[in-house]
Amino acid sequence: MEELTLDALILKIKDKDDKVRAAAWQAAGKVGAQALKPLAGVAKDGELEVARAANRAMWQIVRYTGRPGADDERKATVAALIEVFTDEELPVQLRRDVVWMLSEIIANDEFNPADAAEMFKNAEFRDDMRMALQRIPGDNAIAALKAALEIVPDDFKPAIACSLRARGVEVPNVPCVKLKPTKQTKVKPVGR
Amino acid sequence: MTRQDSKVPRRQFLKRAGAAAGAALVAPQVIPAGVLAAEGKPGASERLTFGHIGVGGMGGYHLGDMKGRADRGEVNVAAVCDVDEGRLANASKMAGPKADVYRDYRYVLQRKDIDAVVIATPDHWHGVQTVHACESGKHVYVEKPACCTIEEGKAMVAAARKNKVAVQVGSQGRSEPDCHAAITYLRNGMLGKVTKVTCWHYASPGDDNPVPDGDPPPELDWDLWLGPMRWRPYNPRYLHGVFRWLLESGGGQIRDRGAHVMSCALYLMGADRQGPVSIEAKGTAPTKGLWDSAVQMEVTYTFKNPDWTLIWAQPGDKPPKGDQGHNDYGAVYHGEKGKLILYGGDGGTWTEPKAREFKVPPGGVQLYKSPGHKEDWFAGIKTGKQTIMNVEAGVATANLTVLGNISFVLGRKIAWDPVRAEIVGDELARRMMSRPQRFPYHL
Repeated sequence: MEELTLDALILKIKDKDDKVRAAAWQAAGKVGAQALKPLAGVAKDGELEVARAANRAMWQIVRYTGRPGADDERKATVAALIEVFTDEELPVQLRRDVVWMLSEIIANDEFNPADAAEMFKNAEFRDDMRMALQRIPGDNAIAALKAALEIVPDDFKPAIACSLRARGVEVPNVPCVKLKPTKQTKVKPVGR
Repeated sequence: MTRQDSKVPRRQFLKRAGAAAGAALVAPQVIPAGVLAAEGKPGASERLTFGHIGVGGMGGYHLGDMKGRADRGEVNVAAVCDVDEGRLANASKMAGPKADVYRDYRYVLQRKDIDAVVIATPDHWHGVQTVHACESGKHVYVEKPACCTIEEGKAMVAAARKNKVAVQVGSQGRSEPDCHAAITYLRNGMLGKVTKVTCWHYASPGDDNPVPDGDPPPELDWDLWLGPMRWRPYNPRYLHGVFRWLLESGGGQIRDRGAHVMSCALYLMGADRQGPVSIEAKGTAPTKGLWDSAVQMEVTYTFKNPDWTLIWAQPGDKPPKGDQGHNDYGAVYHGEKGKLILYGGDGGTWTEPKAREFKVPPGGVQLYKSPGHKEDWFAGIKTGKQTIMNVEAGVATANLTVLGNISFVLGRKIAWDPVRAEIVGDELARRMMSRPQRFPYHL
């Protein structure tokens, strides 16, 4: 497919033909960061398959601009993703997805640990933020998790502790509960 | 591959087995082999006690197989577990009144009387449940593919080693007689040096019937089904069975059947511990729907020292049907002196008559012949011998499938350090080696 302009990309993503949409989202990478906000808008308002194509185009941009040797493009994508993430008009599920996009490409020095920790006050993003920070290399992610540990409700502290442990940080006094069963079945064993 | 020496000296094993057999005469039926065995080591007892985690699809097959063994007095089935109450009820009927029922697999792992578990849940659970089972001291049979991420695979190997349990990954092709015939043929030099293995397999399906998200059915614990995966609304196109057409929960044919075909390739090439140095994939994505695994794809794996190439291809070059009438998938081994086809690679594995009829000459290479995939696992439990599809081999195979999909998703070639088991030179791809897991369903 020939290189797309931003307008052409958005038009094709909205096309009724799934083959046109698929070709468009697969070619979206080269359109770059400028397309992320418009695509988020399509993902919000489009019908099921159009929204899905827009979302996949966003992922394609993340993975293309995150390629080796393209740091300027990557930085632009990070900035655009942060803008999308902070747009409270967008659906929560899309913004959660953006947290995961950021987990693939944001660099250690591109976020403030205290700002990231603040996001843990919002229960809708808490676990995705934790998982994203667990994945991001560098001290800032660890600092953000440590700061979050101080502000989250008690029942979420073991989750953050598990992420900190995964990053090699000791967390005394917060138990690991991963092997503790919690869910009971209503099925009765046959013949009893 | 040659048979690895038992970690338990034969005399010690026989002593344990004798003690266990004597105890079994007076013991109640459900006694863990670990109790009967000396020193609390894995069971020298004749009768191991099993729990089944995930009892639909292949899980139902495994339960039926194990129940047959139980009915013959060979094993005990003490627990069945599933997050779908309908499937669990069916499993209870199959397993009978001696088996307890659970929704949460961690209850099974808490049971001190259970020696081993059969894990046949969707792929995204394999790594976490295997690690947790190992940490609970259980031996594990886990369905293929072993892991969904490189990080999971490393954790599985570490947990199995640390806890000294026998893990068998369900790529059972290695235990098939014709796979033994093929490896014997190759290792005796009948093809000369083999420099290329080309796999063929039909395409992954696309989702022709996409539907919007909705509420999960009442019999399903959606939270537990999702398990380690990040939370998202229920959609019926995730399950059952079709989870494998999503990259996150399955990964397409390369992972579903590639875990069979490429398991045989690593086995025949003696490459369980070699690993490629580069992976390059290209393919076509579905045009609509929830499923995002490649419909068609070709992945080239380049191995060094010794040098050879492995190609996974959907559809690839399908050879004519062999004498067993099968050519849906498999691999062609290309050597200096000719080719050999290994059809299938799973429970249905066939080779060509020339390999099947090959007789090892005096002084030739004789290789371990698995008595059956489960029997090989039982031997691993009882003696400590390396299982034929041990955790390292299972992870090595799964890593190929993971790396193929990462290259496909990124649209670029990736470099792999097979010693450190890490992607190199591509930070984004490196981060894709792991996928942090949802609390509390994590490694």
